Amino acid sequence: MRKLRFAVIGLGKMGLLHASLLNTFEDVQLVALCDKSALMSRFCRSIFSSNGVVVVNDLDRFSELELDAVYVTTPISSHASIVKDLYAKGIVRNIFTEKTLASNYGQAKEMCESARKIGGKTMVGYMKRFSVVFGKAKELLAQGKLGEPYSFHAYAYSSDFLGLTKNSKSLASRGGALRDIGCHILDIALWLLGDLEVVNVVPDHEIGDAETSSSFTAANSNGLEGRFDISQRMPNYRMPEFGCLIECPQGKIDVNDDRLLLTLKDGSRKIWYRHDLEDNVRFWLGETEYYREDFEFVNSLLENRVCEPNFETASKVDYLIDQVRKRDRQG
Amino acid sequence: MNDQGRKLLLVGDNPFQGISHLSQERARSRGETVVSPADKAANIILASVKNGADGFSFSVSEHALSILQTLHERKSIDQVSLYPMVPYAFEYVRVATQTGTPGLVKRFAKQVVLSGDVKAILRGLWSVVRMNPEGFAKTYLAYELSRIKSAAGKQVKLVSVVLNEVIGDMGLALGFDWLFRSFISHLSKRRITPGFNTRNFPYLVRKFDEWGIELDETLIVTPFNKAGFQMNPSKEECEETLASMSCPVVLAVSVLAAGYYKPSMAADYLASLDNLKGLIAGVSNEQQASETFRLFREAL
Repeated sequence: MRKLRFAVIGLGKMGLLHASLLNTFEDVQLVALCDKSALMSRFCRSIFSSNGVVVVNDLDRFSELELDAVYVTTPISSHASIVKDLYAKGIVRNIFTEKTLASNYGQAKEMCESARKIGGKTMVGYMKRFSVVFGKAKELLAQGKLGEPYSFHAYAYSSDFLGLTKNSKSLASRGGALRDIGCHILDIALWLLGDLEVVNVVPDHEIGDAETSSSFTAANSNGLEGRFDISQRMPNYRMPEFGCLIECPQGKIDVNDDRLLLTLKDGSRKIWYRHDLEDNVRFWLGETEYYREDFEFVNSLLENRVCEPNFETASKVDYLIDQVRKRDRQG
Repeated sequence: MNDQGRKLLLVGDNPFQGISHLSQERARSRGETVVSPADKAANIILASVKNGADGFSFSVSEHALSILQTLHERKSIDQVSLYPMVPYAFEYVRVATQTGTPGLVKRFAKQVVLSGDVKAILRGLWSVVRMNPEGFAKTYLAYELSRIKSAAGKQVKLVSVVLNEVIGDMGLALGFDWLFRSFISHLSKRRITPGFNTRNFPYLVRKFDEWGIELDETLIVTPFNKAGFQMNPSKEECEETLASMSCPVVLAVSVLAAGYYKPSMAADYLASLDNLKGLIAGVSNEQQASETFRLFREAL
């Protein structure tokens, strides 16, 4: 059977990670890589030459490769123009982009519209959905035994920019704390709790294109209310950490990257660590979530079914981020 | 096995670096995310050695180098065999996050130049001109070896250098057999055992077999624990692969499943694995060091 032909655009750490994982899938052939940097593409050409992978620094070269899918892992600011090009030039119908989908909701809507017209599969790299602990939270909420959530507190913390005194170009290119790490917990909250609207942005936090922290409240029409705290300047967060406390009438779920603690109304408690939740994958790289994410995208193509989170779903994160920034500007 | 034909037992450095793979939150609440002072870490390593450990396994970070320097200054470095792991991926990823990939490349180039290793600098420059990945890999390795020797002194017992799983597993996935051949050849010439840290142990064994790379003279560092934590693709496949190997080259890590098990429970499981060469275990204080290594030495 013919293998699915994949290419990756952007050879930073995420591009190389996805290229590596895709290369372990039996149904996938890694055909081409693209990076606009002449130096990077020249270096990768020397590495990949023996594997038969084409390395280019111009997207147009993809036209002749009969690609089934492309991964876009470039800086966020370039996602919209690259996706537009891929569709417009008929290079590919199925696209995965790293998070966030776009630099703003306007761009995200245009990308969703283009994807609808083309009719291919899409996915955005919100890999936390593929974590076994957050998956357990989704399962517990879906069972309905805890009742409708009425309150939440979600956070995304890292020490990445703790003590950094001068402006970081990288911080700006990563879109600030909201787009860099905040988007993951926004996606998790939307996935677990449904659509939300921003209510209030807490002042005294630097907001702009390259903020390092942000706090705000959000709610839905069913009376659910909660707060988001996002910071890349927290002490003692060696790795970024994401978590959410969800309160329901019959108990509460306290979940983070490592474990889920369920406390029922009668005071009984149960804890699940990753160890308890079948966390192994066919090939580990970075985190087990990345393998499951790529597996979902590849399988959606093989089985010709909708993939989640797709452009449409992921655009809701861009919507919320725009709301936070707009409300902050309005004071 | 160690020189006496017994299982090789190494002290790991995760607790010294403030790492907990079970729960970051738990580590923070116990104050474990703060790195241990070099003096304290050196005491723990020496207590481990006194109670049965053979050596120290560490990622080549500035902190680990300061521990080596402390052991050297105390004239105790010859008591400890060293098993460094390169690169210290966490630090490189952190720098790339803060400064972007170009910033990372610039900082690395600056460090190589400042190391004063003329041979490495020239080889590095030549590799840039030729775009030769093997040249880059050798330059990098030479740089790391010079850092270790400069911290630990001439008495250093450098037994093995282990390739970090982020690079090794990426190379494995991409089919870069040249990376592994080059690593083995560069270290073997210096009488250092080449090691590979992996979270894809059966996959690595299959690929090396396919590429005709002998494993007998290498070291494989990979998770083995009762819970099957980080044993990809499954605990069963990892155990079967271990049993099928022609000689013991595997050092088990994550043996306590990151604190999920007590050492006594871990020892029972590890004792049931015939083909293990040894293990790496992290300990946080001198008492834990003596209890843990005494227990492992008796049980294995």
